[in-house]
Amino acid sequence: MPPDGRKSVADITLQGGLAVDAPASRAKLLARMRLGDMAFRHVTRAAAVAVLIILGGVILSLISGSLPALRAFGLNFFVQQSWNPVTERFGALAPIYGTVVTSFIAMLIAVPIGLLIAVFLTELCPLWLRRPIGIAIELLAGIPSIIYGIWGLFIFAPFLQTTLQPFLIAAFGNVPVLSSLFEGPPYGIGVLTAGLILAIMVLPFITSITRDVFEAVPPVLKEAAYGVGCTTWEVVRYVVLPYARVGVIGGIMLGLGRALGETMAVTFVIGNAHRVSTSLLAPGTTISATIANEFTEAIGDLYTSSLIALGLILFIITFIVLTAARIMLAQIERRAGN
Amino acid sequence: MNVASIPAPVVTHSAVSAADLVEKISIRHLNFYYGDSRALKDLTLPLYANKVTAFIGPSGCGKSTLLRVLNRMYDLYPNQRADGEVRMDGENILSPALDVNLLRARVGMVFQKPTPFPMTIYENIAFGIRLYEQMPRAELDVRVEQSLRRAALWEEVKDKLGASGLSLSGGQQQRLCIARTVAVRPEVILLDEPCSALDPISTAKIEELIDELRADYTIIIVTHNMQQAARVSDFTAFMYLGELVEFGSTRQMFTTPSDPRTQDYITGRFG
Amino acid sequence: MALYNKRRRRNALAMGLSLAATAFGLGWLVLILGVLVWKGFSGLSLEVFTEMTPPPGSAGGLLNPIIGSLVMTTLAVVIGTPIGMLAGTYMAEYGRHDRLAHVVRFINDILLSAPSIVIGLFIYEIMVAPMGHFSGWAGAVALAVIVIPVVVRTTEDMLILVPNSLREAAIALGMPRVTVIAHISYRAARAGMVTGVLLAIARISGETAPLLFTALNNQFWSMNLNAPMPSLPVVIFQFALSPYKDWQSLAWTGALIITFTVLALSIIARVLAAPRKSS
Repeated sequence: MPPDGRKSVADITLQGGLAVDAPASRAKLLARMRLGDMAFRHVTRAAAVAVLIILGGVILSLISGSLPALRAFGLNFFVQQSWNPVTERFGALAPIYGTVVTSFIAMLIAVPIGLLIAVFLTELCPLWLRRPIGIAIELLAGIPSIIYGIWGLFIFAPFLQTTLQPFLIAAFGNVPVLSSLFEGPPYGIGVLTAGLILAIMVLPFITSITRDVFEAVPPVLKEAAYGVGCTTWEVVRYVVLPYARVGVIGGIMLGLGRALGETMAVTFVIGNAHRVSTSLLAPGTTISATIANEFTEAIGDLYTSSLIALGLILFIITFIVLTAARIMLAQIERRAGN
Repeated sequence: MNVASIPAPVVTHSAVSAADLVEKISIRHLNFYYGDSRALKDLTLPLYANKVTAFIGPSGCGKSTLLRVLNRMYDLYPNQRADGEVRMDGENILSPALDVNLLRARVGMVFQKPTPFPMTIYENIAFGIRLYEQMPRAELDVRVEQSLRRAALWEEVKDKLGASGLSLSGGQQQRLCIARTVAVRPEVILLDEPCSALDPISTAKIEELIDELRADYTIIIVTHNMQQAARVSDFTAFMYLGELVEFGSTRQMFTTPSDPRTQDYITGRFG
Repeated sequence: MALYNKRRRRNALAMGLSLAATAFGLGWLVLILGVLVWKGFSGLSLEVFTEMTPPPGSAGGLLNPIIGSLVMTTLAVVIGTPIGMLAGTYMAEYGRHDRLAHVVRFINDILLSAPSIVIGLFIYEIMVAPMGHFSGWAGAVALAVIVIPVVVRTTEDMLILVPNSLREAAIALGMPRVTVIAHISYRAARAGMVTGVLLAIARISGETAPLLFTALNNQFWSMNLNAPMPSLPVVIFQFALSPYKDWQSLAWTGALIITFTVLALSIIARVLAAPRKSS
C-alpha cells in the first residue's frame, strides 16, 4: 500500500471494491495467489512430465514383454524365417523383410510424385486453385487406414490382379534378373500391392511438407534465378531444391516413419504369409500386420512375447527414423528464423 | 534520335551534349497495377545507353516497381500487370509475345539483399553462362575469371572458388551477384538498392564498380540515398506517388531542379 | 538457340509431369471416396443405426459398435485433453526455453507419429495383462495416449502464437500468472485449441490397431467398460475379412460412416481456424 495511505487500484480490486483498511489481508491474498500460481505451475509441469513417462512406459513395457522371446532365441530372432506356433520357433526375418520392402516400394513411388505435386502447387498452379487442391491433399491424408484396407482388398487388389500383375509377369518374364521380382501367380494381394497402397497413403504427407518447405524459400532468391533467365524448372532444380534440401529429406523421413508403422491398410492386402520371397507378387507380412492378425490368438507366453518383440523392433526403427526427421526439420526451421 | 523530341514532364539537359546520347530504353505512358490499385501513372522517360540513370524518391513512390518492369519480373505475380510501351532497341518488351527468358538474358538484375545461389562460387557464375552457351571447361574458367575480375572480386576468391557462395561476407556476396549478372553479357543492368544492406566500405567498392561498368552497360539504379545518386549517376528521375516528377541530368537536378517538389526532396524536406 | 530450345523443352516436360502427378494424386482421392460412397451408401439405412450387429446370414446394423466407439472416444478425449492441454500450457507459458520443455517437445513429436499398434501393445502390457481381461477402459486409455500428443502440439502452437505484449499488459496490472493464462492466453488461443481437440477426435475415430487387443470386440450390447467393448473400426476389420456378403456390406457402410465423420470434423476444425487467419 502506498506510504501516504491512499488505496491503490490493486488494493481496491483485491478487497472487492470496499475500501477496507487491512494491509494484512492484502498480504494474505497475495500469498494465496502465489500459492495458486505455484500449484498451477507444478500441475502443468507434471502433465509435461507425464508425456515423458508415457514414452518411457512404452519402451519399458515393450522391453519387458519381449524379454522371454529374446532370451529364448537370442540374436537368431532377427534372421530366422520360420514362424511356427506349434513348435514355438519364431523368427522375425519375414516381418522385418516385409516391412522394409513395402516401405521402400511406397517411398520409391510417393517421393517423386509428391515432389512433383509440390512443384505444381508452388510454381504452376493458379492462385485460386491452390487452396482447394491443398485441402484435397489433406483429405487424402485424413482418410483412416482401415478405409484404405478394405478399398485395397475389394477394389485395388482384384484390379491389379487382372491388369498390372499379369503385365509385369509378361513384361519381365524373360529379363534375366528382374524376372525373379515378378514371378508367381497374380494373386492380387501381396507385397507389391501393399507397397502401392502405402504409396498412396504416404503421398499426401510428403506433398504437404515439401510444399511448406518450398514456400519458405525466400522469393528474392527465386527472382534472382529468374533474373538470369532461368526457366521455372531450372529455378526449382538448381535453386529451390538445393536450398530446401534438408527440409525435403525431413519430410521424406516423416513419410517413411508413417509407412513403416502402418497397420490396417497393409494387413488387408499383404497376404499374411511368413515367408521371404524374391518375388514382389508373392504374399508376405509386415511387423504390424503380424501383430494385428495374430496377437489375440496367440497362446503361450513365448508366442505373445515374440509378437511384442516384433513391436519393439518396429518401435526402435520408427524412433530412429522420426528422430532423424525432426532433427532435419528443426534445422530448416532455424534457418527460416534467421 | 533527338532527345528534345521526347515529350516529358520536365526534362533538362545542360551539361551533356545531345550527340552522344542514344536511347536504349524508351518508356512511354507506362501504367502499372497491383490488382486494382495503380502504382505507376502514365510514365514517360528515356534511359540512355552506357549511362547510369538513377531513380530516386521517397518510400512507396514506385521506383522499384518501375525497375522491375524493365525485366518483366512482375510476370511472376498474377495480380500485377503493366500497360503502355517500353521499347528496348525499338522492341516493346511489354508484349506478351516476347520471350521473357531471353529478355532477362539481356537485362540483368542485382537485388537489395545479396542472393548467392546455393552453389559454389564458381558454379554461381558458371551456372548463368551455361544457360546460354556451351563451351569447354577451360573456356568456362576464363569466362568465370573475367566476370569475377569485372566485379573486383577475383583477387579475394580466386583460391576458394569451390567454397559455397554463402561463405562470403555481405559485400562480397553482392559483388558475386554483380559478377553473376555480367557473366551472361547483358546489355542493361538493373540495380535495386544494391548497397542498402552493406557497410560503407563495401558500398564504396560497389559504387566504384558501377563507374567502371558504365562503359559497357546501360545501368539503372534505384537508390534511397540521394548522395549516392549524385555520386554515381549521369541522369536522375525523381518520382513521387507513382508519377515522374522530374527527369534530367544529375548535375542539373541536384543544383537547379525545376520542380519545387524535387527541390524539397533533395534538401530533405520530406521523404 | 538450340541450347535454349532444349531448355524450353525440358521445362515443358517437367511442368507437364508435375501437372500429371497432381492429377494422379487427386485421382486416387476421387477413386477411393467414390467407391466408398457407392458401396457404403447402398447399405445405409435406419437399421444401421438402430440394430445391433447380426450373426452372419441375418440382417442387422451397427448400433453397438457405434455406441462403443462413441463411449471410448468420449472417454479418451476426457482423459487425454486435460493432460495434453496442461502439458502444452507448461511448454508455452512456463518453460519456453527450459530444458524440460525442449525434451518433451521432441518426445511428443515421436509419440505423435509412433505406430499406433505399438501403443496398443503398451496398454495391453500395463492394463489388459494385469487385469486379466480386455476392457473398454483399456481401449479408452489407448486412444487417450494417441489424443495427448495431438493436443499437446496444438495447444503449445496456439499458445505460442499469443503475442507476449498481451501477457505483459495483464501482468503489469498485477494479475497472477494463473489468471493471465486462463483468462488471456486461453481466450486468445481458444479457437486453435478447440481445433486441436477436433483434430484429435478425427484421428482416433479411425484408429483400429490400438483397439485390437485392448477393447477387443463384442458381438452384443455392452455398456460395461470393464469388459470387451465393440467399436466401429474393429467391427469393420472383422466383417470385411469375413466371407459373408452381408457382413461385408455392413463393413462398407461402417467405413462410410467413419470417413464421413472424420472429414466432417476436419472441415469444422478448418472452418474454426479460418477466422483467426483473416484477422
